[in-house]
Amino acid sequence: MIKLQINNREIECKPETRLLDAAQQAGFAIPTMCYLEGLPHFTSCMICVVQDMKTGRMLPSCSLQAAEGMVIETDNEAVQNARREALELLMSDHVGDCVAPCQRTCPAHMNIPMMNLHIEAGRDHEALVTVKEHIALPAVLGRICPAPCEKNCRRDSVDSSISICSLKCYVADQDLLSGSPYLPERKAPSGKTVGIIGCGPAGLAAAYHLQQFGHACTIFDDHAEPGGMLRYGIPEDVLPRNILDAEIDVIRLLGAKFEMNRRVGKDISVAEVRQSFDAVVLAMGPVEVAELEPFEVETTPKTVRVDSETFATSVAGIYAGGGIINPGKLAIRSVGHGRSIAIAIDNYLTRRSLPVLNSRSQSRIAKVEENELRILSASMENLKAATFERKFDGEAISGISVGVTPAQAVTEAAKCIQCGCASFHHCKLRIYSEQYGANSKRYKGEMRRPLKRVFDHPYVVYEPGKCIQCGLCVRITEKEKNKLGLTFIGRGFEVRVDAALEGTMDAGLAQAAADCVDACPSGALEFKSRFCYK
Amino acid sequence: MFQKCKCLTLYNNCTRTDQHKTRTRSKPKAETMTTTTKAPNLELADVDAIVAGIGREERHTIAILQAIQEKYNYLPQEALRRVCEVTEITPAEITGVSTFYAQFRHRPAGKHVIKLCAGTACHVMGSDMIYDALKRELDITGTDDTDKSGIFTIEKVACLGCCMLAPAIQIDDITYGHLTTQKAPNVLADFLSSQEVAEVSAASGRKFGRLDGEIRLCLCSSCSASGARQVHDELRSQIERFHLPAKLKTVGCTGMAYQAPLVDVALRNGRTYQYGRVRPQDTQALVFTHFKPASLLGRGSAAVASLLDRMLTSEQDEPVTRYPVDVRFGPDSLYVGQQYQIATEHGGGLDPLDLDEYLGSGGFDTLKQCLLERSPELIIEEINQSGLRGRGGAGFPTGIKWGIVSKAESDLKYLICNGDEGDPGAFMDRMILESFPFRVIEGMLIAAYAVGCAEGYFYIRAEYPHALKRIHQALKICEQRGFLGDDVMGTGFRCRLHVVPAAGAFVCGEETALIASIEGKRGMPTLRPPYPAEKGLWGKPTLVNNVETFATVPWIMRNSASQFASLGTAKSKGTKTFALAGKIERSGLIEVPMGLTLRQIVEEIGGGVKDGRKLKAIQVGGPSGGCIPASLADTPVDYEALTQIGAIMGSGGMVVLDETDCMVDMARYFMSFTQKESCGKCTFCRVGTKRMLEILDRLCEGKGKRDDLDALEQLTSSVKAGSICGLGKTAPNPVVSLLNYFRQEYEAHVDGRCPAGRCKALITYTIDEKCIGCTLCAQKCAFDAIAMQPYQQHVIVQDNCTKCDICRQVCPVDAVLVS
Repeated sequence: MIKLQINNREIECKPETRLLDAAQQAGFAIPTMCYLEGLPHFTSCMICVVQDMKTGRMLPSCSLQAAEGMVIETDNEAVQNARREALELLMSDHVGDCVAPCQRTCPAHMNIPMMNLHIEAGRDHEALVTVKEHIALPAVLGRICPAPCEKNCRRDSVDSSISICSLKCYVADQDLLSGSPYLPERKAPSGKTVGIIGCGPAGLAAAYHLQQFGHACTIFDDHAEPGGMLRYGIPEDVLPRNILDAEIDVIRLLGAKFEMNRRVGKDISVAEVRQSFDAVVLAMGPVEVAELEPFEVETTPKTVRVDSETFATSVAGIYAGGGIINPGKLAIRSVGHGRSIAIAIDNYLTRRSLPVLNSRSQSRIAKVEENELRILSASMENLKAATFERKFDGEAISGISVGVTPAQAVTEAAKCIQCGCASFHHCKLRIYSEQYGANSKRYKGEMRRPLKRVFDHPYVVYEPGKCIQCGLCVRITEKEKNKLGLTFIGRGFEVRVDAALEGTMDAGLAQAAADCVDACPSGALEFKSRFCYK
Repeated sequence: MFQKCKCLTLYNNCTRTDQHKTRTRSKPKAETMTTTTKAPNLELADVDAIVAGIGREERHTIAILQAIQEKYNYLPQEALRRVCEVTEITPAEITGVSTFYAQFRHRPAGKHVIKLCAGTACHVMGSDMIYDALKRELDITGTDDTDKSGIFTIEKVACLGCCMLAPAIQIDDITYGHLTTQKAPNVLADFLSSQEVAEVSAASGRKFGRLDGEIRLCLCSSCSASGARQVHDELRSQIERFHLPAKLKTVGCTGMAYQAPLVDVALRNGRTYQYGRVRPQDTQALVFTHFKPASLLGRGSAAVASLLDRMLTSEQDEPVTRYPVDVRFGPDSLYVGQQYQIATEHGGGLDPLDLDEYLGSGGFDTLKQCLLERSPELIIEEINQSGLRGRGGAGFPTGIKWGIVSKAESDLKYLICNGDEGDPGAFMDRMILESFPFRVIEGMLIAAYAVGCAEGYFYIRAEYPHALKRIHQALKICEQRGFLGDDVMGTGFRCRLHVVPAAGAFVCGEETALIASIEGKRGMPTLRPPYPAEKGLWGKPTLVNNVETFATVPWIMRNSASQFASLGTAKSKGTKTFALAGKIERSGLIEVPMGLTLRQIVEEIGGGVKDGRKLKAIQVGGPSGGCIPASLADTPVDYEALTQIGAIMGSGGMVVLDETDCMVDMARYFMSFTQKESCGKCTFCRVGTKRMLEILDRLCEGKGKRDDLDALEQLTSSVKAGSICGLGKTAPNPVVSLLNYFRQEYEAHVDGRCPAGRCKALITYTIDEKCIGCTLCAQKCAFDAIAMQPYQQHVIVQDNCTKCDICRQVCPVDAVLVS
């Protein structure tokens, strides 16, 4: 047996044990990307480095054997810095959007590409569920949102942006018209209560999501009817009140209590509200700083000070969002705040911590050339046309609808290029980047590789721009003795992975395709099915 | 609806089973294997014949590819497919290997290939401008490398190893040196005309344009001491006074010291005349014998008139010098004083391939003595005692390496002579291989005996065809005469040596990459340990030493370790060869005892900085080394001392830089080299060097940002720490020395200034009042940046100026200024 020290613990392992395995046997997990058990090591990504404390050197633990007397640290600051830097360099040469630009732009972070996929597949209900995961009042916003998402739609440079807002409105209207609008699942009551001051978009959205988490919400408002600025600031011909009522009814159905004509600080004291509820949301729109005094929250000269991610104020359990912190901003932003507050309060009340996405660590393509998009959109359309059996039955919905027919909706949604990444949830590069706080723009390059998706394989998509040259697929096809196989082409920064002898990916991957997709750490190889559905 | 099959169905719903993996898939369609159109004249039988002549195993991949390229001048896909069909080589291997090495072309090349040397010496002498000028002349634009008529292909190569001719190009097998942007087009014409004449020797084959000829003499220290300087001055005044159509040219020393001062007159008609022991008072008679004076007009107008006259003729006026491909410069053209020859012993005195001459000088005596009288242990001990360290650059103690290999237990062991000398600006190994092949073989045989191995390989750059040929011949001679084979020198010792031509990858100088390359794979280094000494070629213990290291061994064994160790410093023993080049009066290959200072080398051996300029820095160690500032020139040649100041001993490139050389540009130059040569395996080296290069590029273009410095500094340490091989570990060194010693120059670039006047984007060309209105610059400018205004001061239109430097070169009165 070999004796060594890992993270100040004496470890024993068999001779010829990899450092990686020795550490893992001792319970210290080490991230890897270019390493896969059963394949020869390659020592490429350098994410698995650990520090030899005797020499100070960084050692790739996937490729080195443990040796007698080693003193190793697997997660100190130097190691973390080295991993972060490796990730930053890899990200600088990784061409892809973790999140589609439309979704990135949406203040409520709605999953637009997935909505589009569902609509195209004729799954209107799933589309609505997708929408309502982030947006509590989609039929309302479908009529009033200025749709910043559409301004960032990549499709715009090919022909025109996708009418995201109308599509959202379409699915929401379909749902309301169905007679039994979608009621999201609720968790069992938590026994916790939340007092929400203000019944505008932020307050309503917070209640919508908090009720789903099982927390009992009471909304106070000094107006007679709920809706806030949506009701009292927007003309009825723009936003028919029956639409507003219908979506508020869903929140009521979820169990939220509405205390109308009750002004906090006048009809009910601040102290009472703070005492009665486990958490309080300040969503009353723009207020004078003086009015905030009884809450004892820290303020700026103009308004309450909040954490930019959790919207927590300086007082534990009190949150603020919507017009109170961004007067005059979009309703969609307030709806987004409401959801973020709900998650933050749930974390606070249940002592859990749902991860907050670090968008700094996300890969994004700054600019996509028009011809790249043309090729991409054409190939995406072909792919989806082959996947979805389209149904165009049904007519334009009269009355309250914005007048989109199902056929139009499907055609419109089908234009979506799916700019976002199908591998978002399992991409090691993204997950580690977030974990180590890598800044994807730190080493931004002058030129980027072309944005390209190769569809020639029957069930795999290859995006060479996302490849980090870890060589796993090359080694797998070699091990599987593929007739053609994949190989590295060229060298240095220009090196890329492709099928040998100018062959197709289909022939190159052959029987090893599924294994290669599973092994790919950066979303360069992905199943088409995951691409078209998620 | 979705199909049920895995191929198209929802992945989420898919019950993934092994069925998927074993699902029978149609074999790759026949078309995908054989689609592309057949290359012209491609006969599969030819490919088969090549394979039959070389072998069918994976290790023959590179040799097969080289043979195919030799035949077709590129690698037709059709041929590669055929190779896969008739050998054990897989498609993935052949594609991976053929795209890894720079030597291989996948598109047809032009009829003639122009190899433009991008080595250090050529770079500092302006090779980039030559490249631009040649592309312009050939009308090659963008990323193309071949002219439209398919006659010339131009490519940059790491180093041609003729640093004293810098900047140099090689067209097929002819080398052209000392080029200028103005001369470049003439070279092409000269080359094409030479194709009509069968044989061209180095001495003839010159074009003189309007000049009737050249007068050449050497001004080296020994010639100068014989009065060559006075003769030179007198000749110059004669030519100027009488406007003689002759060019006075200083040339390298012929070594005929007893004849000095020696004057050569080479005429347009190809005749040459040689005059020995010339005195100043002889010069007038000498020149009038060969050149007719022009009419004696007023000086200024005469100049204008004659230059205007030139405009009327299309005749080229820049002489061009050709050299045969095996042009060599021995140490004999340099001042020998401080030199000490061990690896280059008997330089200039031995016929490289005359075995009897080698035997006559004591060659192979040492080997025989070792084989008969010394045990392997004693030999290794002797090498240990000598203090010999690896001459390839890193300086690992040779004796220790031998000890490890000798102790390794294995049925088979291998020996490799690393002749993949890839440093731009280094050509010591080439010179040793070409000049002393038997010495290297003897060193290898001693090593083979010491470590117990019976088979060895020479790994030599394909860019060194002459060295390859010599080694091939030398091995054959040794086999025939019993110095190699089953019974070496009748002692019963058995050893065979083979030659493997490398295919153009600097990283293959790294021993693990070199081994991969000999095995026929992509030259990608692997993490050490295991070291090749334990597990190397084909998994067997392997001794890898550099050419110079082996060449040093026979001397040590003959003269004793203590004599070797008496040379040098405490930890660096013996001698080291260097390729001395750049802005230096006398460049060439030198061998000096360790411990000599850089200043001694530059001043005493190299004769000081060229044209009396000021020494700015000495670049030592090539892309892995650094620029040592003049203030540290008293540093001795010593592994540790050089490492301490941010350079490395390296394989021996030494390039002298003067005040017109930009240190940011040097750092960029080396970074662009390493970046291109990175194998692409480790993240830090692959992406990190690219990002560093981009920052340096931005600086040289005046687009540097303040916060680039942070990123640059960070990358210098992380690329070093996060790369597995020597290439990546040392790639940041040139930047480190820039930031350590020339930070003010770095900062000047951030502010948009290039103090050395070198970075094109940061300089402007202007014409001052010295202009005599001769119009020559306007005639030569290819970009309409200078309007022709006879007898008036000319003006450069900055928007059109590409800074090609031609105007400055042609101006007869130095009126073109760079600022």
